[in-house]
Amino acid sequence: MAEIRVTERNGEARTISADSGRPLMEALRDANFNLQGTCGGAMSCGTCHVYIKQDWNDKLPAKSEDEQMMLEAIADLVEVRPTSRLSCQIELSDALSGIEVEIAPEV
Amino acid sequence: MTSNPTPINLKMLLESQTLKRAPFPVPVGWYFIDYSENLKAGELRNISVFDQEWVLFRSESGDKVGVTDPYCPHLGAHIGHGGKVCGDNVRCPFHHWEYDTDGMCKAIPYAKVMPPITKKQAILRTLPTVEKYGMIWSWFHPLCEAPHWEMPYIPEIEDATGYTGSRRGSWTANTCIQEIAENGVDVAHLKFLHNAPGIPPVSAAYDGNQMRLDIGNGYIVGDMFGPGLNVMRFNQKDPVTEKVITATMISYSVPVTHDTTQMNMSFRHVDYAEGSPELAFTKKQIDHMIGAAEGEESAGFESVDFIVWNNKRYRPNPLLCDGDGPIFPFRNWFKRFYVDADLSKI
Repeated sequence: MAEIRVTERNGEARTISADSGRPLMEALRDANFNLQGTCGGAMSCGTCHVYIKQDWNDKLPAKSEDEQMMLEAIADLVEVRPTSRLSCQIELSDALSGIEVEIAPEV
Repeated sequence: MTSNPTPINLKMLLESQTLKRAPFPVPVGWYFIDYSENLKAGELRNISVFDQEWVLFRSESGDKVGVTDPYCPHLGAHIGHGGKVCGDNVRCPFHHWEYDTDGMCKAIPYAKVMPPITKKQAILRTLPTVEKYGMIWSWFHPLCEAPHWEMPYIPEIEDATGYTGSRRGSWTANTCIQEIAENGVDVAHLKFLHNAPGIPPVSAAYDGNQMRLDIGNGYIVGDMFGPGLNVMRFNQKDPVTEKVITATMISYSVPVTHDTTQMNMSFRHVDYAEGSPELAFTKKQIDHMIGAAEGEESAGFESVDFIVWNNKRYRPNPLLCDGDGPIFPFRNWFKRFYVDADLSKI
């Protein structure tokens, strides 16, 4: 199990837990944070965008070129930071338990 | 002691049971799709070639032709049922996603952000398509590789002056192009199936995607440019004028499925003066190519080849004898047009 500390769009904090091995996007989508994850992990919609807290961001595998391209594509519509990630590309694990994420604005 | 009887070669007798009509995939190449005049500006329709359905369309300006996979990469709607041509693009009926003739997604009317892959590459499969010889031609490669060769200049059909001839034919053969083309090197059948006076000498030379066939020391010279285009020139001395006159058969076959072929041909000749003996002779040459010309004993392909093509099965291990033509070199050359496209490996 992985614990996820979430900051919602309205600034409220909520902690959820989800099974290791699932994408972070699914855990957030299913916990009703109004995060869509429309494309199901294909990196074609940009609706699962989150900001990762810096300390945790350093522990994540690097972004793929496709993830980077999707983040660049939404940059005209929402703020994209160095710690921006598509949550569909982050696989939860016991090692990531406690990860702190902020739901980014809707595109 | 009894001697062992000679064992029977069972393979010789029983292999027939495992034979298929055409155990090959659709070969790589440029193929005829339709005559340019049959596709109007803004027109869209479904066609069946290369073992599947495709959507054929012409841009509203008229100068671009597209051949696309039917199923929209978005949610799988069939673009050829309810889709329409919008400018240079074809538009899916379901959500109005638009694609150009290269399969690039040009519009998603409601998306704020175009999926990044739409900037990088085509998302809808299209076939490279050009117009040449007054026809629409598409390049088929099972793994979507770009064309490996250009189509050749054919003076008889591209030179604005000097040649004429509007005769065309179209026939369906229930076999694959390799089997049809193999008859070119199978010279013995010319005597027995076509009643030619003898078995002519043959030579075949291969150069990349091209084959040059010479039957009867220059009587028939054929140039094949991949599986989909064959230009055969029949050179005969006219006994009246003593001139060697050339008539040209341009053959462009299309694999409708892996074992069904639409054979198409245009017949062209030098634009001789009306009423001249040369014109009379060359018209007779063309009659001869298509079927038995009046007063001839021998038979063109239409009358006799189909009964064999439509009913035979491909023998990978044929029993050949002396006098058979260079069939194995032909088969070895033709292998280059087959690509393993096992989609489970993608």
